Amino acid sequence: RVSSDGKPPKFQPPPKPVIIDRKTQKEDKRFLSPEFIPPRGRTDPLKYFIERKDMIQRRKVFNIPEFYVGHVLAVTTAEPHASTKSQRFVGICIQRGGKGLGATFVLRNVIEDQGVEICYELYSPRIQAIEVLKLEKRLDENLMYLRDALPEYSTFDVNMRPVPRMAHEEIPVNKLQVRMKPKPWSKRWERPKYNIKGIKFELPEHKMKAAQKWSQPWLEFDMLREYDTSKIEAKIRKELSEELEK
Amino acid sequence: MMPIWTKSGEKRAVTLLKVQDCHVLRYVSKEESGGKTAKLLVGGKNVSPFSKPESAHEIFKEAGVPRKQKVSTFNVTDDAIIKPGTPLYAAHFRPGQFVDVTAKTVGKGFQGVMKRWGFKGQPASHGQTKTHRRPGAISTNKAAKVYRGKKMPGKMGNIYRTSFGLKVWRINTKHDIIYVNGSVPGHTNCLVKVRDSKLPTYKDCNKNPPFPTFFADGDEELPEDLFDEEIFQFTDPSVTFT
Repeated sequence: RVSSDGKPPKFQPPPKPVIIDRKTQKEDKRFLSPEFIPPRGRTDPLKYFIERKDMIQRRKVFNIPEFYVGHVLAVTTAEPHASTKSQRFVGICIQRGGKGLGATFVLRNVIEDQGVEICYELYSPRIQAIEVLKLEKRLDENLMYLRDALPEYSTFDVNMRPVPRMAHEEIPVNKLQVRMKPKPWSKRWERPKYNIKGIKFELPEHKMKAAQKWSQPWLEFDMLREYDTSKIEAKIRKELSEELEK
Repeated sequence: MMPIWTKSGEKRAVTLLKVQDCHVLRYVSKEESGGKTAKLLVGGKNVSPFSKPESAHEIFKEAGVPRKQKVSTFNVTDDAIIKPGTPLYAAHFRPGQFVDVTAKTVGKGFQGVMKRWGFKGQPASHGQTKTHRRPGAISTNKAAKVYRGKKMPGKMGNIYRTSFGLKVWRINTKHDIIYVNGSVPGHTNCLVKVRDSKLPTYKDCNKNPPFPTFFADGDEELPEDLFDEEIFQFTDPSVTFT
Protein backbone atom coordinates (compact mmCIF):
# COMPACT_ATOMS: atom_id res chain seq x y z
CA ARG A 1 0.00 0.00 0.00
CA VAL A 2 1.20 3.43 -0.84
CA SER A 3 0.97 5.99 1.96
CA SER A 4 0.68 9.71 1.43
CA ASP A 5 3.83 10.77 3.34
CA GLY A 6 6.21 7.90 2.69
CA LYS A 7 5.92 6.88 6.37
CA PRO A 8 4.48 3.41 7.20
CA PRO A 9 0.65 3.58 7.65
CA LYS A 10 -0.56 3.97 11.19
CA PHE A 11 -1.66 0.63 12.66
CA GLN A 12 -5.40 0.40 12.60
CA PRO A 13 -6.60 -2.24 15.05
CA PRO A 14 -9.26 -4.54 13.54
CA PRO A 15 -12.87 -3.71 14.52
CA LYS A 16 -14.07 -5.54 17.59
CA PRO A 17 -16.58 -8.34 16.77
CA VAL A 18 -20.13 -7.50 17.73
CA ILE A 19 -21.69 -10.58 19.36
CA ILE A 20 -25.41 -10.73 18.58
CA ASP A 21 -26.90 -13.34 20.88
CA ARG A 22 -29.62 -14.64 18.59
CA LYS A 23 -30.81 -17.34 21.01
CA THR A 24 -31.91 -15.05 23.83
CA GLN A 25 -33.50 -12.59 21.41
CA LYS A 26 -35.74 -15.10 19.66
CA GLU A 27 -36.98 -17.01 22.73
CA ASP A 28 -40.74 -17.03 22.91
CA LYS A 29 -41.89 -16.06 26.35
CA ARG A 30 -45.57 -16.89 25.86
CA PHE A 31 -46.85 -19.69 28.07
CA LEU A 32 -46.95 -23.21 26.65
CA SER A 33 -48.57 -25.76 28.98
CA PRO A 34 -45.91 -28.36 29.87
CA GLU A 35 -48.09 -31.35 28.93
CA PHE A 36 -47.87 -30.40 25.23
CA ILE A 37 -44.13 -31.00 25.05
CA PRO A 38 -43.62 -34.67 24.09
CA PRO A 39 -41.16 -36.65 26.26
CA ARG A 40 -37.95 -37.98 24.73
CA GLY A 41 -38.45 -41.49 23.40
CA ARG A 42 -38.93 -43.72 20.39
CA THR A 43 -42.68 -43.26 20.00
CA ASP A 44 -44.05 -42.24 16.63
CA PRO A 45 -44.69 -38.45 16.57
CA LEU A 46 -48.04 -39.25 14.95
CA LYS A 47 -49.27 -40.44 18.37
CA TYR A 48 -48.49 -37.07 19.97
CA PHE A 49 -50.08 -35.27 17.03
CA ILE A 50 -53.33 -37.22 17.46
CA GLU A 51 -53.26 -36.61 21.24
CA ARG A 52 -52.70 -32.89 20.72
CA LYS A 53 -55.72 -32.71 18.41
CA ASP A 54 -57.86 -34.15 21.22
CA MET A 55 -56.35 -31.79 23.79
CA ILE A 56 -56.99 -28.76 21.57
CA GLN A 57 -60.56 -29.94 21.02
CA ARG A 58 -61.11 -30.10 24.78
CA ARG A 59 -59.54 -26.68 25.28
CA LYS A 60 -61.92 -25.17 22.74
CA VAL A 61 -64.92 -26.35 24.75
CA PHE A 62 -63.53 -25.92 28.26
CA ASN A 63 -61.17 -23.14 29.30
CA ILE A 64 -57.99 -24.40 31.02
CA PRO A 65 -56.28 -21.27 32.38
CA GLU A 66 -52.57 -20.68 32.44
CA PHE A 67 -51.18 -21.72 35.81
CA TYR A 68 -47.89 -22.75 37.38
CA VAL A 69 -46.83 -24.60 40.49
CA GLY A 70 -47.49 -22.33 43.46
CA HIS A 71 -50.78 -20.87 42.21
CA VAL A 72 -53.87 -21.19 44.35
CA LEU A 73 -56.68 -22.80 42.32
CA ALA A 74 -60.33 -23.66 42.90
CA VAL A 75 -61.56 -26.72 41.00
CA THR A 76 -65.25 -27.74 40.66
CA THR A 77 -65.79 -31.38 39.71
CA ALA A 78 -68.94 -33.40 39.09
CA GLU A 79 -69.46 -35.81 41.98
CA PRO A 80 -72.23 -38.46 41.72
CA HIS A 81 -72.48 -38.98 45.50
CA ALA A 82 -72.51 -35.32 46.62
CA SER A 83 -75.85 -33.69 47.45
CA THR A 84 -75.39 -30.84 44.95
CA LYS A 85 -73.72 -33.24 42.47
CA SER A 86 -70.61 -31.02 42.32
CA GLN A 87 -67.64 -30.48 44.64
CA ARG A 88 -65.40 -27.42 44.95
CA PHE A 89 -61.84 -27.74 46.25
CA VAL A 90 -59.39 -24.88 46.84
CA GLY A 91 -55.67 -25.52 47.17
CA ILE A 92 -52.14 -24.63 46.17
CA CYS A 93 -50.77 -26.47 43.14
CA ILE A 94 -47.74 -28.40 44.34
CA GLN A 95 -46.96 -30.50 41.27
CA ARG A 96 -47.79 -30.71 37.58
CA GLY A 97 -47.12 -34.11 36.08
CA GLY A 98 -47.91 -36.30 33.12
CA LYS A 99 -47.79 -35.59 29.40
CA GLY A 100 -50.53 -35.47 26.82
CA LEU A 101 -54.12 -36.27 27.77
CA GLY A 102 -53.12 -37.83 31.09
CA ALA A 103 -51.65 -34.58 32.47
CA THR A 104 -52.36 -34.12 36.19
CA PHE A 105 -51.92 -31.48 38.86
CA VAL A 106 -51.97 -31.92 42.64
CA LEU A 107 -53.73 -29.37 44.87
CA ARG A 108 -52.97 -29.21 48.58
CA ASN A 109 -54.86 -27.57 51.42
CA VAL A 110 -55.24 -28.04 55.17
CA ILE A 111 -58.90 -28.38 56.16
CA GLU A 112 -59.73 -28.56 59.89
CA ASP A 113 -56.13 -29.45 60.78
CA GLN A 114 -56.02 -32.29 58.26
CA GLY A 115 -53.76 -31.95 55.23
CA VAL A 116 -55.60 -32.95 52.04
CA GLU A 117 -54.06 -33.41 48.60
CA ILE A 118 -56.13 -34.14 45.51
CA CYS A 119 -54.65 -35.11 42.15
CA TYR A 120 -56.83 -33.88 39.28
CA GLU A 121 -56.56 -34.78 35.60
CA LEU A 122 -56.51 -31.65 33.42
CA TYR A 123 -58.51 -33.22 30.59
CA SER A 124 -60.97 -35.25 32.63
CA PRO A 125 -64.58 -34.53 31.57
CA ARG A 126 -65.69 -34.48 35.22
CA ILE A 127 -63.95 -31.16 35.84
CA GLN A 128 -66.50 -28.40 35.40
CA ALA A 129 -64.46 -25.29 36.23
CA ILE A 130 -60.90 -24.28 37.09
CA GLU A 131 -60.42 -20.78 38.55
CA VAL A 132 -57.09 -19.24 39.41
CA LEU A 133 -57.48 -17.46 42.75
CA LYS A 134 -53.94 -16.29 43.36
CA LEU A 135 -51.19 -15.96 40.78
CA GLU A 136 -47.83 -16.54 42.32
CA LYS A 137 -44.84 -18.55 41.21
CA ARG A 138 -42.51 -20.03 43.80
CA LEU A 139 -38.79 -20.64 43.79
CA ASP A 140 -39.19 -24.38 43.00
CA GLU A 141 -41.15 -26.36 40.43
CA ASN A 142 -42.18 -29.03 42.89
CA LEU A 143 -43.61 -28.05 46.27
CA MET A 144 -43.90 -31.57 47.74
CA TYR A 145 -41.89 -30.32 50.75
CA LEU A 146 -44.99 -28.48 51.96
CA ARG A 147 -46.01 -31.84 53.47
CA ASP A 148 -43.14 -31.50 55.95
CA ALA A 149 -43.48 -27.75 56.42
CA LEU A 150 -45.51 -26.13 59.17
CA PRO A 151 -49.25 -26.37 58.35
CA GLU A 152 -49.65 -22.59 58.17
CA TYR A 153 -47.88 -22.59 54.80
CA SER A 154 -50.45 -24.95 53.24
CA THR A 155 -53.65 -23.46 54.65
CA PHE A 156 -55.73 -21.41 52.28
CA ASP A 157 -59.18 -20.01 52.94
CA VAL A 158 -61.81 -22.06 51.12
CA ASN A 159 -63.90 -18.97 50.43
CA MET A 160 -61.07 -16.71 49.38
CA ARG A 161 -61.75 -14.15 46.69
CA PRO A 162 -59.73 -14.23 43.47
CA VAL A 163 -56.87 -11.76 43.67
CA PRO A 164 -57.16 -9.41 40.67
CA ARG A 165 -54.27 -9.48 38.25
CA MET A 166 -53.12 -6.38 36.40
CA ALA A 167 -53.44 -6.75 32.67
CA HIS A 168 -50.66 -9.02 31.40
CA GLU A 169 -47.97 -8.24 33.90
CA GLU A 170 -45.25 -10.72 34.61
CA ILE A 171 -46.28 -13.39 37.09
CA PRO A 172 -44.73 -12.46 40.47
CA VAL A 173 -42.29 -14.90 42.07
CA ASN A 174 -42.79 -15.34 45.80
CA LYS A 175 -39.36 -15.76 47.36
CA LEU A 176 -40.86 -17.18 50.52
CA GLN A 177 -38.57 -19.48 52.54
CA VAL A 178 -40.70 -22.02 54.29
CA ARG A 179 -40.00 -23.24 57.83
CA MET A 180 -40.13 -26.98 58.37
CA LYS A 181 -41.40 -29.28 61.08
CA PRO A 182 -38.65 -31.10 63.01
CA LYS A 183 -37.05 -34.03 61.22
CA PRO A 184 -37.77 -36.87 60.16
CA TRP A 185 -39.25 -35.65 56.87
CA SER A 186 -40.84 -37.73 54.13
CA LYS A 187 -37.82 -37.05 51.89
CA ARG A 188 -34.38 -35.66 52.73
CA TRP A 189 -35.07 -32.26 51.25
CA GLU A 190 -31.64 -30.87 52.16
CA ARG A 191 -29.95 -33.17 49.60
CA PRO A 192 -28.77 -31.51 46.37
CA LYS A 193 -30.77 -33.90 44.15
CA TYR A 194 -34.01 -32.06 45.01
CA ASN A 195 -32.34 -28.67 44.51
CA ILE A 196 -34.85 -26.87 46.73
CA LYS A 197 -34.46 -23.15 47.23
CA GLY A 198 -37.69 -22.43 49.02
CA ILE A 199 -36.87 -23.93 52.44
CA LYS A 200 -35.21 -22.11 55.31
CA PHE A 201 -33.00 -24.94 56.57
CA GLU A 202 -32.42 -24.59 60.29
CA LEU A 203 -30.15 -27.65 60.36
CA PRO A 204 -26.64 -27.48 61.86
CA GLU A 205 -23.78 -26.70 59.46
CA HIS A 206 -22.21 -30.15 59.60
CA LYS A 207 -25.49 -31.76 58.48
CA MET A 208 -25.83 -29.43 55.52
CA LYS A 209 -22.22 -30.17 54.59
CA ALA A 210 -22.81 -33.94 54.94
CA ALA A 211 -25.81 -33.68 52.61
CA GLN A 212 -23.52 -32.27 49.88
CA LYS A 213 -21.80 -35.70 49.75
CA TRP A 214 -24.69 -36.85 47.53
CA SER A 215 -24.22 -34.06 45.02
CA GLN A 216 -23.63 -35.10 41.40
CA PRO A 217 -21.95 -32.04 39.83
CA TRP A 218 -21.30 -33.89 36.54
CA LEU A 219 -25.02 -34.21 35.78
CA GLU A 220 -25.41 -30.74 34.27
CA PHE A 221 -22.60 -31.49 31.80
CA ASP A 222 -23.97 -34.88 30.73
CA MET A 223 -24.63 -34.48 27.01
CA LEU A 224 -26.77 -37.60 26.71
CA ARG A 225 -29.30 -36.06 29.09
CA GLU A 226 -29.67 -32.91 27.03
CA TYR A 227 -33.13 -32.47 25.54
CA ASP A 228 -33.46 -29.28 23.54
CA THR A 229 -37.15 -28.55 23.18
CA SER A 230 -36.91 -25.12 21.52
CA LYS A 231 -37.70 -26.28 17.97
CA ILE A 232 -40.40 -28.72 19.08
CA GLU A 233 -41.94 -26.00 21.24
CA ALA A 234 -41.95 -23.49 18.40
CA LYS A 235 -43.75 -26.00 16.16
CA ILE A 236 -46.31 -26.82 18.83
CA ARG A 237 -46.95 -23.16 19.62
CA LYS A 238 -47.61 -22.48 15.95
CA GLU A 239 -49.96 -25.46 15.71
CA LEU A 240 -51.81 -24.41 18.88
CA SER A 241 -52.30 -20.81 17.79
CA GLU A 242 -53.56 -21.92 14.36
CA GLU A 243 -56.03 -24.45 15.78
CA LEU A 244 -57.38 -22.25 18.56
CA GLU A 245 -58.15 -19.45 16.14
CA LYS A 246 -60.37 -21.67 14.02
CA MET B 1 -51.24 -45.83 25.19
CA MET B 2 -53.65 -43.06 26.00
CA PRO B 3 -56.48 -42.38 28.47
CA ILE B 4 -60.09 -42.08 27.29
CA TRP B 5 -63.17 -41.30 29.34
CA THR B 6 -66.67 -42.79 29.19
CA LYS B 7 -69.85 -40.70 29.31
CA SER B 8 -70.17 -41.44 33.06
CA GLY B 9 -66.72 -39.96 33.72
CA GLU B 10 -64.75 -43.21 34.20
CA LYS B 11 -61.25 -43.40 32.80
CA ARG B 12 -60.04 -46.27 30.59
CA ALA B 13 -56.59 -46.90 29.12
CA VAL B 14 -56.43 -47.45 25.40
CA THR B 15 -53.70 -48.67 22.98
CA LEU B 16 -53.35 -47.07 19.56
CA LEU B 17 -52.74 -49.47 16.65
CA LYS B 18 -51.90 -48.09 13.22
CA VAL B 19 -52.87 -49.98 10.06
CA GLN B 20 -49.88 -49.33 7.81
CA ASP B 21 -49.95 -50.48 4.14
CA CYS B 22 -51.88 -53.71 4.63
CA HIS B 23 -52.58 -55.71 1.48
CA VAL B 24 -54.08 -59.14 0.80
CA LEU B 25 -51.29 -61.24 -0.75
CA ARG B 26 -52.69 -64.65 -1.63
CA TYR B 27 -55.77 -66.83 -1.40
CA VAL B 28 -55.19 -70.41 -0.25
CA SER B 29 -58.20 -72.70 -0.74
CA LYS B 30 -59.42 -75.23 1.83
CA GLU B 31 -58.06 -78.26 -0.06
CA GLU B 32 -54.68 -76.64 -0.71
CA SER B 33 -54.07 -75.70 2.90
CA GLY B 34 -55.55 -78.92 4.34
CA GLY B 35 -57.46 -77.08 7.08
CA LYS B 36 -61.15 -76.60 7.78
CA THR B 37 -61.48 -73.16 6.15
CA ALA B 38 -59.83 -71.21 3.36
CA LYS B 39 -56.94 -68.92 4.26
CA LEU B 40 -55.92 -65.45 3.18
CA LEU B 41 -52.30 -64.30 3.47
CA VAL B 42 -52.09 -60.65 4.48
CA GLY B 43 -48.93 -58.53 4.59
CA GLY B 44 -48.31 -55.31 6.52
CA LYS B 45 -45.79 -52.46 6.56
CA ASN B 46 -43.73 -51.83 3.43
CA VAL B 47 -40.03 -52.58 3.68
CA SER B 48 -37.04 -52.34 1.33
CA PRO B 49 -36.88 -55.24 -1.21
CA PHE B 50 -33.07 -55.28 -1.28
CA SER B 51 -32.43 -57.20 1.93
CA LYS B 52 -34.00 -60.47 0.76
CA PRO B 53 -33.29 -62.69 -2.31
CA GLU B 54 -35.49 -62.58 -5.42
CA SER B 55 -37.05 -65.94 -4.57
CA ALA B 56 -38.66 -64.39 -1.48
CA HIS B 57 -40.36 -61.70 -3.60
CA GLU B 58 -42.62 -64.07 -5.58
CA ILE B 59 -45.71 -63.69 -3.43
CA PHE B 60 -45.42 -59.90 -3.50
CA LYS B 61 -44.88 -59.76 -7.26
CA GLU B 62 -47.97 -61.87 -7.91
CA ALA B 63 -50.09 -59.52 -5.82
CA GLY B 64 -48.39 -56.44 -7.29
CA VAL B 65 -47.37 -55.04 -3.96
CA PRO B 66 -44.02 -53.90 -2.42
CA ARG B 67 -42.28 -56.28 -0.02
CA LYS B 68 -43.94 -56.45 3.39
CA GLN B 69 -42.24 -56.90 6.73
CA LYS B 70 -44.78 -59.31 8.18
CA VAL B 71 -47.04 -61.86 6.49
CA SER B 72 -49.81 -63.48 8.56
CA THR B 73 -52.59 -65.97 7.80
CA PHE B 74 -56.27 -65.48 8.55
CA ASN B 75 -58.83 -68.29 8.44
CA VAL B 76 -61.73 -67.04 6.31
CA THR B 77 -65.12 -68.45 5.33
CA ASP B 78 -65.80 -68.89 1.60
CA ASP B 79 -68.08 -65.83 1.33
CA ALA B 80 -65.41 -63.51 2.75
CA ILE B 81 -62.67 -64.15 0.18
CA ILE B 82 -60.95 -61.00 -1.06
CA LYS B 83 -58.97 -60.62 -4.28
CA PRO B 84 -55.18 -60.52 -3.71
CA GLY B 85 -53.81 -57.01 -3.97
CA THR B 86 -56.70 -55.19 -2.27
CA PRO B 87 -55.59 -52.80 0.45
CA LEU B 88 -57.05 -53.22 3.94
CA TYR B 89 -57.88 -50.21 6.12
CA ALA B 90 -58.66 -49.50 9.76
CA ALA B 91 -62.32 -48.98 8.79
CA HIS B 92 -62.51 -52.79 8.44
CA PHE B 93 -63.25 -52.68 12.19
CA ARG B 94 -66.04 -50.71 13.84
CA PRO B 95 -66.28 -49.21 17.34
CA GLY B 96 -68.05 -51.52 19.77
CA GLN B 97 -66.51 -54.62 18.19
CA PHE B 98 -64.32 -57.03 20.14
CA VAL B 99 -60.92 -58.00 18.89
CA ASP B 100 -57.98 -60.34 19.64
CA VAL B 101 -54.49 -58.90 19.29
CA THR B 102 -51.43 -61.13 18.76
CA ALA B 103 -47.83 -59.98 18.87
CA LYS B 104 -44.36 -61.05 19.95
CA THR B 105 -43.85 -60.12 23.62
CA VAL B 106 -40.99 -57.87 24.74
CA GLY B 107 -37.81 -59.95 24.80
CA LYS B 108 -36.18 -60.10 28.22
CA GLY B 109 -33.18 -62.26 27.31
CA PHE B 110 -31.88 -65.05 29.52
CA GLN B 111 -33.75 -64.77 32.80
CA GLY B 112 -33.65 -66.61 36.08
CA VAL B 113 -36.39 -68.70 37.54
CA MET B 114 -37.83 -65.98 39.80
CA LYS B 115 -38.56 -63.53 37.01
CA ARG B 116 -39.41 -66.11 34.36
CA TRP B 117 -41.74 -68.38 36.33
CA GLY B 118 -42.45 -66.39 39.49
CA PHE B 119 -40.73 -68.73 41.94
CA LYS B 120 -40.34 -67.38 45.48
CA GLY B 121 -36.59 -67.94 45.87
CA GLN B 122 -34.97 -68.18 49.29
CA PRO B 123 -34.69 -65.72 52.24
CA ALA B 124 -32.03 -63.02 52.12
CA SER B 125 -30.53 -63.80 55.52
CA HIS B 126 -30.77 -66.32 58.41
CA GLY B 127 -27.84 -68.42 57.25
CA GLN B 128 -28.59 -68.89 53.53
CA THR B 129 -25.27 -69.76 51.84
CA LYS B 130 -25.12 -68.37 48.31
CA THR B 131 -28.76 -69.28 47.66
CA HIS B 132 -31.23 -66.44 47.21
CA ARG B 133 -32.75 -66.71 43.70
CA ARG B 134 -32.20 -70.40 42.89
CA PRO B 135 -34.96 -72.88 41.97
CA GLY B 136 -34.21 -75.25 44.86
CA ALA B 137 -35.28 -78.85 44.28
CA ILE B 138 -36.10 -79.83 40.68
CA SER B 139 -37.64 -83.27 41.19
CA THR B 140 -38.45 -85.92 43.83
CA ASN B 141 -36.42 -88.97 44.87
CA LYS B 142 -38.94 -91.54 43.60
CA ALA B 143 -39.16 -90.03 40.10
CA ALA B 144 -35.39 -90.49 39.62
CA LYS B 145 -35.53 -88.14 36.63
CA VAL B 146 -36.42 -84.55 35.77
CA TYR B 147 -39.76 -84.26 33.95
CA ARG B 148 -39.94 -82.68 30.50
CA GLY B 149 -41.09 -79.11 30.64
CA LYS B 150 -39.59 -78.46 34.09
CA LYS B 151 -39.61 -74.72 34.75
CA MET B 152 -35.97 -73.61 34.64
CA PRO B 153 -34.02 -70.47 33.70
CA GLY B 154 -33.90 -69.66 29.99
CA LYS B 155 -34.73 -67.08 27.31
CA MET B 156 -37.82 -65.14 28.29
CA GLY B 157 -40.11 -63.16 26.04
CA ASN B 158 -39.99 -62.70 22.26
CA ILE B 159 -42.77 -65.26 21.75
CA TYR B 160 -46.21 -64.80 20.24
CA ARG B 161 -48.96 -64.12 22.74
CA THR B 162 -52.57 -62.95 22.34
CA SER B 163 -54.78 -60.60 24.34
CA PHE B 164 -58.39 -61.74 23.91
CA GLY B 165 -61.63 -59.80 23.92
CA LEU B 166 -60.37 -56.20 23.61
CA LYS B 167 -63.05 -53.64 22.83
CA VAL B 168 -62.55 -51.23 19.94
CA TRP B 169 -63.40 -47.74 21.26
CA ARG B 170 -62.62 -45.49 18.33
CA ILE B 171 -61.37 -45.56 14.74
CA ASN B 172 -59.55 -42.76 12.92
CA THR B 173 -60.15 -43.29 9.19
CA LYS B 174 -57.82 -40.47 8.07
CA HIS B 175 -54.69 -41.89 9.74
CA ASP B 176 -55.94 -45.55 9.93
CA ILE B 177 -55.71 -45.87 13.72
CA ILE B 178 -57.65 -48.33 15.87
CA TYR B 179 -58.12 -47.49 19.58
CA VAL B 180 -58.21 -50.81 21.44
CA ASN B 181 -59.07 -51.22 25.15
CA GLY B 182 -56.34 -52.14 27.62
CA SER B 183 -52.81 -53.23 26.82
CA VAL B 184 -51.41 -55.29 23.99
CA PRO B 185 -48.35 -57.60 23.94
CA GLY B 186 -45.19 -56.24 22.34
CA HIS B 187 -43.01 -53.13 22.55
CA THR B 188 -43.88 -49.70 21.08
CA ASN B 189 -43.99 -49.67 17.27
CA CYS B 190 -43.98 -53.46 17.00
CA LEU B 191 -46.02 -55.40 14.39
CA VAL B 192 -49.28 -56.81 15.58
CA LYS B 193 -52.03 -59.07 14.19
CA VAL B 194 -55.61 -57.96 14.86
CA ARG B 195 -58.47 -60.45 14.44
CA ASP B 196 -62.18 -60.58 15.26
CA SER B 197 -62.54 -62.10 18.71
CA LYS B 198 -63.04 -65.86 18.92
CA LEU B 199 -64.39 -65.75 22.50
CA PRO B 200 -67.90 -67.27 22.80
CA THR B 201 -69.27 -64.24 24.74
CA TYR B 202 -68.53 -61.94 21.81
CA LYS B 203 -69.78 -64.26 19.06
CA ASP B 204 -72.80 -62.08 18.20
CA CYS B 205 -71.23 -58.73 18.95
CA ASN B 206 -70.65 -57.63 15.37
CA LYS B 207 -73.94 -56.05 14.36
CA ASN B 208 -73.15 -54.84 10.86
CA PRO B 209 -69.48 -55.10 10.14
CA PRO B 210 -68.17 -54.10 6.69
CA PHE B 211 -68.26 -57.49 4.94
CA PRO B 212 -65.90 -58.80 3.50
CA THR B 213 -63.90 -55.62 4.18
CA PHE B 214 -64.03 -51.84 3.84
CA PHE B 215 -63.23 -50.83 0.26
CA ALA B 216 -61.82 -47.32 -0.11
CA ASP B 217 -63.00 -46.86 -3.69
CA GLY B 218 -66.62 -47.70 -2.79
CA ASP B 219 -69.46 -45.22 -2.41
CA GLU B 220 -69.39 -45.16 1.40
CA GLU B 221 -67.96 -41.93 2.79
CA LEU B 222 -66.99 -42.31 6.43
CA PRO B 223 -66.35 -39.37 8.81
CA GLU B 224 -62.77 -38.87 10.00
CA ASP B 225 -63.46 -40.29 13.49
CA LEU B 226 -65.82 -43.11 14.42
CA PHE B 227 -66.67 -43.26 18.13
CA ASP B 228 -68.31 -45.90 20.31
CA GLU B 229 -71.64 -44.89 21.94
CA GLU B 230 -70.24 -44.85 25.48
CA ILE B 231 -67.14 -42.79 24.79
CA PHE B 232 -66.98 -39.16 25.89
CA GLN B 233 -66.20 -37.00 22.87
CA PHE B 234 -64.26 -33.83 23.52
CA THR B 235 -66.71 -31.76 21.50
CA ASP B 236 -69.33 -32.30 24.24
CA PRO B 237 -69.44 -30.09 27.38
CA SER B 238 -68.24 -31.44 30.75
CA VAL B 239 -70.02 -34.37 32.38
CA THR B 240 -72.70 -33.55 34.98
CA PHE B 241 -74.63 -35.94 37.19
CA THR B 242 -78.31 -35.38 37.88
